[in-house]
Amino acid sequence: MIRVEKISKSFYGQKIVSNLTLSIKKGEVFGFLGPNGAGKTTTIKMLVGLNLPDSGSILVDDNSPTQKNTRSKIGFMPENPYFYDHLTGIELLKFCNDLSVGKHKTDLKFLESTLKQVGLENAGRKMIREYSKGMKQRLGLAQAIIHDPDYIFLDEPLDGLDPIGRLEIKEIVKVLKGRGKTVFFNSHILSDVEEICDEIGIINNGRLMYMGEVDKFRGNKTLEEAFVEAIRKGEK
Amino acid sequence: MRNIAIIAKNTLKEVIRDKILYSILGFALLFILSTLFLGSISLGEDLKVIRDLGLAGIYIFSLIIAIFMGTSLIYKEIDKRTLFITLSKPVSRSEFIIGKFFGLFVGLIITVLLMSIIYFLIVAFKGGVFDWRGLISISLSLIEIAIFISLSILFSTFSKPLASTIYSVLILYIGHSLNMVMSHFEKSGGISLYAVKFVYYIFPNLEKFNLRNLVIYDAAISGVEITLSVLYGVIYCIVLLLLAIWSLRKQEL
Repeated sequence: MIRVEKISKSFYGQKIVSNLTLSIKKGEVFGFLGPNGAGKTTTIKMLVGLNLPDSGSILVDDNSPTQKNTRSKIGFMPENPYFYDHLTGIELLKFCNDLSVGKHKTDLKFLESTLKQVGLENAGRKMIREYSKGMKQRLGLAQAIIHDPDYIFLDEPLDGLDPIGRLEIKEIVKVLKGRGKTVFFNSHILSDVEEICDEIGIINNGRLMYMGEVDKFRGNKTLEEAFVEAIRKGEK
Repeated sequence: MRNIAIIAKNTLKEVIRDKILYSILGFALLFILSTLFLGSISLGEDLKVIRDLGLAGIYIFSLIIAIFMGTSLIYKEIDKRTLFITLSKPVSRSEFIIGKFFGLFVGLIITVLLMSIIYFLIVAFKGGVFDWRGLISISLSLIEIAIFISLSILFSTFSKPLASTIYSVLILYIGHSLNMVMSHFEKSGGISLYAVKFVYYIFPNLEKFNLRNLVIYDAAISGVEITLSVLYGVIYCIVLLLLAIWSLRKQEL
């Protein structure tokens, strides 16, 4: 379970996240939505232990994400992921898996099967600097799930992908859910969120506006219509 | 320890796959080879000239590589956000900094080794013996290189590579001038002596790692002094790396 209790975060005197409380059940796919600059990326960075909240608390599986033990249960794919250009795809996955607790043996077959899972089976020996944006997104997902974490945090995972790529990533998220993994992801692409999320959270100007089931939020509208309406109402 | 080794290995890959390293190394090897010619036009002092320029060449080129690569080592990770990938794994910031340090240091040891092989072959060819004293001098200059790697890593946690390079070169200049400045102010005394003493104890005294003149003029080398210099260098590196870890911990990513 992920429990976020009244966290706040400011940068240079400007409040980015304010008094945010979230509760995400184990095995759930949670979509975190909000307009640009709403505080989604800042929140996800705090959830994976990269940054600390100024106040409030975060517990992932009853432990702080700043603890190394907790982070071995976490997989994180940053927004527009950047990688070490001097490595090949296989080398990066090996590096990431080696750094994690190492539940798995890092043999070549295991690395290749993970690459295959994200549709990069023919690019493993290519240098990452030669990857396209879509390939980097896929590699970002591969490094986040390589160590079979229980909690997977994805920041805009569908950004820059073509329709086939998006479909494949959504399929992977569904498979992860089927295996009991908890997936937390930020996204702008609301039709995809609608399709794969159990629950959503909507944040605007650092404040949580809604948290709950997708259907309850949208009523008889599409998620996009309900989202735009909620944001506009909140800004008035 | 395991995480430090994994990060060091990755950093070493980054260093040895960098094309700029080979440009600098190629230039360094050419310079060391050129000492053969420079020695031959020096009217009977050829071995002295070869040792003088050879050891200086190894020192200067390894320092250039250390500063050049060290100053962008952490900055690049923050700027390109590659450290999100590493630090979201069960890795502490101290393991990250120490791994980066050892990766670059091992890379530097390999490059110094390559330059030294050419140097020792030339000296053996001209003098007929292995230059043991040269080996001690090169080994001690590696401690100075380690200090510069630590210093560059510290600077690269909060400043851009160009600014970090300028700071590092300034410290290089100050570090090699400390003894001279101190002896001057000791003679004149006064209140400024305290200010100079403050600078003397804060900045690294890099002359402690310079045995090149003693080697060239075949003067005595004290084992005790070398041991103390190594200890001084190691402690200085540890302090700089602790500051780098503290600085990275303070960073909002």
